[in-house]
Amino acid sequence: MNKKLLSNILFYLIVIAIACIVLFPFLWMLVSSFKTQVDIISWPPKFFFTPTLQNYQKVFEEQDFLKYFLNSTIVGVVAVGFSLVLGLPAAYSIARFTQKKLSVFILLARLMPGISFLVPWYIVFSRLNLMDSYLALILSHMLIALPIVVWIMSTYFNTIPREMEESAMVDGATRQYAFFAIILPLSGPGIITATTLSFIFSWNNFMFSQVLSMEKTKTLPIAVYNFLSYAEVDWGGVMAAAVAIMTPAIILTMIFQKYVVKGLTMGAVKG
Amino acid sequence: MSNVILKNVVKRYGSVAAVDDLSIEIRDQEFAVLVGSSGCGKTTALRMIAGLETATSGDIFIGDTCVNDMPPKDRDIAMVFQNYALYPHMNVRDNMGFGLKIRQMSKKDIDARVEEAADILGIQALLARKPKELSGGQRQRVAVGRAIVRKPKVFLFDEPLSNLDAKLRVAMRAEISKLHRRLGATIIYVTHDQVEAMTMADRIFIMHNGALQQIGAPMEVYRQPANRFVAGFIGSPAMNFIDAKVALEDGAMFIDAGGFRVRAPETFRSRLEPYLDRPVIFGVRPEDMSLHDATAGTGNSIKAHADVVETLGSEIFVHLTCEAHSLVARMEAPDSPPMVGDMLEIDLKMAKTHVFDRETSQTIV
Ligand SMILES: Nc1ncnc2c1ncn2[C@@H]1O[C@H](COP(=O)(O)OP(=O)(O)OP(=O)(O)O)[C@@H](O)[C@H]1O
Ligand SMILES: [Mg+2]
Repeated sequence: MNKKLLSNILFYLIVIAIACIVLFPFLWMLVSSFKTQVDIISWPPKFFFTPTLQNYQKVFEEQDFLKYFLNSTIVGVVAVGFSLVLGLPAAYSIARFTQKKLSVFILLARLMPGISFLVPWYIVFSRLNLMDSYLALILSHMLIALPIVVWIMSTYFNTIPREMEESAMVDGATRQYAFFAIILPLSGPGIITATTLSFIFSWNNFMFSQVLSMEKTKTLPIAVYNFLSYAEVDWGGVMAAAVAIMTPAIILTMIFQKYVVKGLTMGAVKG
Repeated sequence: MSNVILKNVVKRYGSVAAVDDLSIEIRDQEFAVLVGSSGCGKTTALRMIAGLETATSGDIFIGDTCVNDMPPKDRDIAMVFQNYALYPHMNVRDNMGFGLKIRQMSKKDIDARVEEAADILGIQALLARKPKELSGGQRQRVAVGRAIVRKPKVFLFDEPLSNLDAKLRVAMRAEISKLHRRLGATIIYVTHDQVEAMTMADRIFIMHNGALQQIGAPMEVYRQPANRFVAGFIGSPAMNFIDAKVALEDGAMFIDAGGFRVRAPETFRSRLEPYLDRPVIFGVRPEDMSLHDATAGTGNSIKAHADVVETLGSEIFVHLTCEAHSLVARMEAPDSPPMVGDMLEIDLKMAKTHVFDRETSQTIV
């Protein structure tokens, strides 16, 4: 047997091993979401069972799952939207005028643990009677989305030659016109990357929503968490809810896979 | 009037002066070529004229207007960038019409102008294509086309031919010259290629390390270089420089290079006198050297070893060693070219040689 074959086999074994470790919890969750409570806790685990949709039924009936889904969508979409509106010009300015201080400041916001924002926010928002409001939640989620937009987009703008907008400016455009007519149309891939990533991070966020939202604006991750707080944990329900939450993120990731990978490798993102 | 005037213009990046006290006037309808080696500040100077860079100090005038604080869009200039900077998401037609669209010209007028320019440049067939579907030469034409549709007062070109192959470069040189005559506009053209400067310019502006060295018509800077830098920069192969000193013997003036000695023409005398026994640099162009011809007999020949002989067809370049000095000679190809290792006798056209001050590098004669 030659050396190359051996190293190939070894390579694939390692890949499979890593894939198993990463995918196992996910698969376990997926499978469990179709099991009855009895099947889930039976030992040894049952690999052959009659799949049931009762968990999903329960999730969508007992809890107002659609409402939470809508809440998550509203908060995610609006937060990402505002982040793009504010972040694109900021990123452009950082890229073209090398605004080191601004970029470090934004990076800092990204590196500080989110929890350190919560206490002041809690105080401010409750004084302003903004607890359980979309506004508070959207503002807090912009702390997640805005740095992602700024970092990915300033890296992206740097890859567009300066001469692009300089040429437009000599042609008679203001810098603002050049930004909208020349730079933005060339930034599609970067904007898709930034949007997808920041939306997924907003979608998955637990901490900000847990503290700042109550019944009205509760988002999906909080809803799943609520399953755990019952006297007896409804594992099937939790699993089904978790799968339901992950699905949009996974679909988004698959559609924009190319862009998401690029965004992650730009080193602009902290998990 | 669309002359361009720079008065004591300085541009600093940190402590580096990219452009150092540049004062020039480019006349109306002139084809001015700014030439110099890489990093000498040509692009910086051009970008300041375009308004893409603000001068650290000094004034810039276009026509009679001081444009120091005027944004690029109001300067009525067009610029062709080194990398062309075509807008990738627009087709050729929209690329060329972009500036007119901003000026809110009607669609019909834009089309007419674009087609007129496309006609001049022979790119009518490409109007529907995107820049990435064009060859380098075609992109270059589109970039020029985008500049000329607006009929601006002043054109700025930043090394527009440097990305083209040698053959296309020769063709485009002639085309741009033709275009200049046809448009009757002021052109400021930046290049590091002295051949482009010599062939296209009305006047050449030679820069070195951010500072202006000489201004003049092509033959003027070739025949009367202001200093050693200009002498070495203009002409190809470059002028030979030999450390020497001026000597007087029996009433005759000589240039003594140690290895050889040549007699200075009488016309040099008055200007060389102050440099007697002082170190100078003797400069002789390769094309002013020829194989010794006994009948012509200038009496100023040197003996040198042929190290390398390059045949170019109608011409040959001979790399020579004369004692400690290396020289290159350029001459018409003789029927029997010299062989490597031959000892040759070379005549110098002394009247066309130059002498430079070794300390200041300024031309003495
Ligand atoms: N934005 C900048 N920041 C700092 N230094 C710069 C900047 N732009 C140019 N320089 C420096 O200024 C000097 C002149 O640059 P410039 O681009 O004008 O040269 P150039 O004559 O156009 O050269 P080339 O023939 O290579 O294009 C260089 O030493 C360069 O390093
Ligand atoms: Mg340059």
